[in-house]
Amino acid sequence: MSQMNGASALVASLEAAGVDVMFGIPGGAILPAYDPIFSSSIRHILVRHEQGAGHAATGYAQVTGRVGVCIATSGPGATNLVTPLADAAMDSVPVVAITGQVPSVAIGTDAFQEADIRGITMPFAKHNYLITDPADIPRAIAEAFHIASTGRPGPVLVDIAKDALQKMTDFKYPTSVSLKGYQPKGAPDAQAVIDAADLIAQSSKPVFYVGGGAIKANANRELLELAQLLGAPVVTTLMARGAFPDSHPLNLGMPGMHGTVSAVTALQKADLLITLGARFDDRVTGKLSTFAVNAKVIHADVDPAEIGKNRFADVAVLGDLRLTIAALIPVLKAALAKTRPDLTAWLHQMNSLKAAYPLGYDMPEDGSLSPQYVIERLGKISGPETIFAAGVGQHQMWASQFVSFENPRTWLNSGGLGTMGYAVPAAMGAKVGAPDTTVWAIDGDGCFQMTNQELVTCALNNIPIKVAIINNESLGMVRQWQTLFYEGRYSNTNLDSKRVPNFPMLAEAMGCVGLSCDRPEDVDATIEKAMSINDQPVVVDFRVNRDAMVWPMVAAGTSNDNIMIARETAPDWDSQEL
Amino acid sequence: MAQHTLEVIVENSPGVLARVAGLFSRRAYNIERLSVGPTSNPETSKMEIVVNLDGHALEQVIAQLDKLINVLSIKEILPHSAVPTVHDTQPDYQN
Repeated sequence: MSQMNGASALVASLEAAGVDVMFGIPGGAILPAYDPIFSSSIRHILVRHEQGAGHAATGYAQVTGRVGVCIATSGPGATNLVTPLADAAMDSVPVVAITGQVPSVAIGTDAFQEADIRGITMPFAKHNYLITDPADIPRAIAEAFHIASTGRPGPVLVDIAKDALQKMTDFKYPTSVSLKGYQPKGAPDAQAVIDAADLIAQSSKPVFYVGGGAIKANANRELLELAQLLGAPVVTTLMARGAFPDSHPLNLGMPGMHGTVSAVTALQKADLLITLGARFDDRVTGKLSTFAVNAKVIHADVDPAEIGKNRFADVAVLGDLRLTIAALIPVLKAALAKTRPDLTAWLHQMNSLKAAYPLGYDMPEDGSLSPQYVIERLGKISGPETIFAAGVGQHQMWASQFVSFENPRTWLNSGGLGTMGYAVPAAMGAKVGAPDTTVWAIDGDGCFQMTNQELVTCALNNIPIKVAIINNESLGMVRQWQTLFYEGRYSNTNLDSKRVPNFPMLAEAMGCVGLSCDRPEDVDATIEKAMSINDQPVVVDFRVNRDAMVWPMVAAGTSNDNIMIARETAPDWDSQEL
Repeated sequence: MAQHTLEVIVENSPGVLARVAGLFSRRAYNIERLSVGPTSNPETSKMEIVVNLDGHALEQVIAQLDKLINVLSIKEILPHSAVPTVHDTQPDYQN
């Protein structure tokens, strides 16, 4: 035990928690903490906006599996963290946010730069703290890391009053954390696993419905073994891309609003959904009352509140997903040895759908650049080890569709909150977490204009990410909905971003290499040039056709049975034996 | 919809009432009546929350309440019963 001020206790606690990097910006209330940060072993990356710090922490966490850390001052510094923390909550990402607060005597007086950030983040933070006594700092930090990283991961905020950072305290970091009100389940109950195996052995049309929990739990190897053991089709949600290899013959791709015909139909026609770390999100189920109406449900998840939230579970298996699948494999082997369902007809149906309705796109007739082609070539040229981070909108869906994901933790996107502007700072955090891996941000011209200032951070801190702007000079997904549902009345979706800004010049001004490309025949050479530059961030302005749309599509609030493969074009169901 | 009374033991920590009330509000559940009082343990408080919910929504409220770190236990008090009964729909994750 040693005497130090609260600020030093905070930094010593972060070091003891194993933090190697944090993203942040100093300011008045957090200033005492920045003095010990100056001499700490922890790398502090000075971002240009606190939102960037939050998404960078998320990107770092998604890639490494460790807790991402961001730090900001009180008031506006803290409120600028709200969006990335809400984002991390929706996508279950372990993040710890440290904020300075006005001195404890000033709390509640509307002091300069005062905001009740604990109150503001209460609705979505997994937990949060307001610390006014320096003696409480080590315990709060230890608990924050424990809560953020265990069970269903999520963001935890620790708000510390300035005087608590300044006063002296005895520093002692807790050797263990025990919380009476927080006991996340590890291994599943044996009976639940037996019930799940029995249900699987009785099914004739089972589907593995795999969500982001499979990646959070590092369950990809176990998942591969389980899927091959049963030989049933697998669908990977937007958050689960990479949890199961796209190249695997059992993988039908992504389900949901912009999912493949085979993945959507597999869920709809299944007699059993083997749900692994997924949460029956409305973007997957479509109109809930019409979703997979003939299917029984096995729901394996670490979060008890997800069981039965949107869909009744015939068998619930609570626990860590990796341990759950590992426990299920031998039990299922034994069950299948007694009765092995014949899945031949089911697999044949799904494979014929997969063959009849692959993901595809048309090259624009006017010779302009197809956004899907650009993204497909990015995936092909950069290869399966590359990490991709996307913003939100059409380019996000195309990236999920046309990049082939073979490995977990190689696909980062804002799935739940749908945060435009996520890509650049998340890619920055990813590159810091995986400095030897190529990191591409696939961004839209709208998204890019929300958070591109972090490219300055990247340029100055040797974080050489690559950014592909899919520039259709529009808020493209909103424009698509205006095309389909608002008679083409393009209210406020035209961004004019082929005129202003000049993205390559903007990139150069921020210390990056700026490239542009507007012809299909130049795409490969441009990507290869970007790939050859590794000492600076690179931004490529891909100037694409603005009328391209994301297909297939299930219109919001409608049944997955009404999936369309193009405008006013449904699959030819009569030609399929379903 | 039937009326249910939940007895919730919480850690006596700042902001815990806001956490519980906020959870009901953001998940669009109405609180009919709420009272908070001390227990024999100075580190905990007891909340009695009366809600009008059907079975499925009640299970969800209990599951979501249980995710709050400061919530230590949740029981449903059955009508005309002096003895609180542990809610039997709650999965065995509380240990």
